[in-house]
Amino acid sequence: MGEPRTPIEPPTPEQAEFLERAMTQYGKATYNFAFRLTGNEADARDLTQDAFIRVYRAWRSFAPGTSFLSWIYRIVTNLYRDELRRRKGRFQEEIPEDNAPQAFGGERPLAVTPIEDFVDRQLSEPLSKALAQLSPDQRQVVVLADIEEYSYQEIAEIMGCSIGTVRSRLHRARALLRRLVERAQAQQER
Amino acid sequence: MNDHLSNDLLVDFVHGELPPELDAAAHVHLAGCAACREDFELEATLTEALRAAAKAEEREMPSLVNAAVWDRIRSARPGPMARVAAWLRPAYALPLAAAIVAGGFFASPLAHPSAPKIDASYYLEAHAADTSATPLSERSSALVLETSMITTAPSSPSTLRANGGVAATGAVDGVH
Repeated sequence: MGEPRTPIEPPTPEQAEFLERAMTQYGKATYNFAFRLTGNEADARDLTQDAFIRVYRAWRSFAPGTSFLSWIYRIVTNLYRDELRRRKGRFQEEIPEDNAPQAFGGERPLAVTPIEDFVDRQLSEPLSKALAQLSPDQRQVVVLADIEEYSYQEIAEIMGCSIGTVRSRLHRARALLRRLVERAQAQQER
Repeated sequence: MNDHLSNDLLVDFVHGELPPELDAAAHVHLAGCAACREDFELEATLTEALRAAAKAEEREMPSLVNAAVWDRIRSARPGPMARVAAWLRPAYALPLAAAIVAGGFFASPLAHPSAPKIDASYYLEAHAADTSATPLSERSSALVLETSMITTAPSSPSTLRANGGVAATGAVDGVH
């Protein structure tokens, strides 16, 4: 990852405890957030590692009483953006080679809408693939708004942009997701 | 709100991001409009599907991440602050403090009580006395002249010339 290997001071006991507690309590959430952004385990691991190194360095700047998760998501977001800039593009996403429609045991349930059909048939993987086709900013806003359930205001703070930008990115991202889901649905029916 | 609800408005509605009056109006409209209700269901289901997919894919943070973070911290080259802190450890601090105190003492006037000040004329007179053993020497006479000039300051440039000022100046230069 792009986190510079600048000198790291040895930990004080409080700093070591802060970091250990942060990793224990928020490691899973941070790693999953990083995984949803990068789309692959290796980059998610590196991103999570770099984020906790940042937490370690900047532990005194965390304001007690505020959301630690929002703080570390902001750190992950910044690191992710830096890394994207460095790579001039996209992360390598783990898209399974087997792109064939999934086989379903028994009768297919009647679909109310294409998306409900997706949910009913537990098509989390195609939905994840659709998510991976969004731009990094669009994917991030969808992850924060729909999966992490942050408000627009909180997302704007995490992403360092205006609420208007969050709103428009989310609108565009969801419109694109709907189209991708419907297309995937049509391919499966063929 | 007679027109149908736009998708963008429905997205904000699903996320609870509409202002109260618009939110209430959307509620009322959805209650009476089947087409908009269908769109709303679509948006709400997409959100549910995303959450379900995320939940299904949720994974534990690999333990090697924790280990790697600590490894990087422990193996990192200490920064300038750490190096300064290392110097301040007692093992170094005591001899260092003793060296600073001793250095300060020897550098201060306490270690070198000031010697009594001696007027420059004393050296000139002493030197003139030494060299007067060879009275014919040009240098010694010049010094005698200079000594008299210092003790009795010349009143005018003409006096200086009469006393051989040029030679005296050269002699002083020679002393210095």
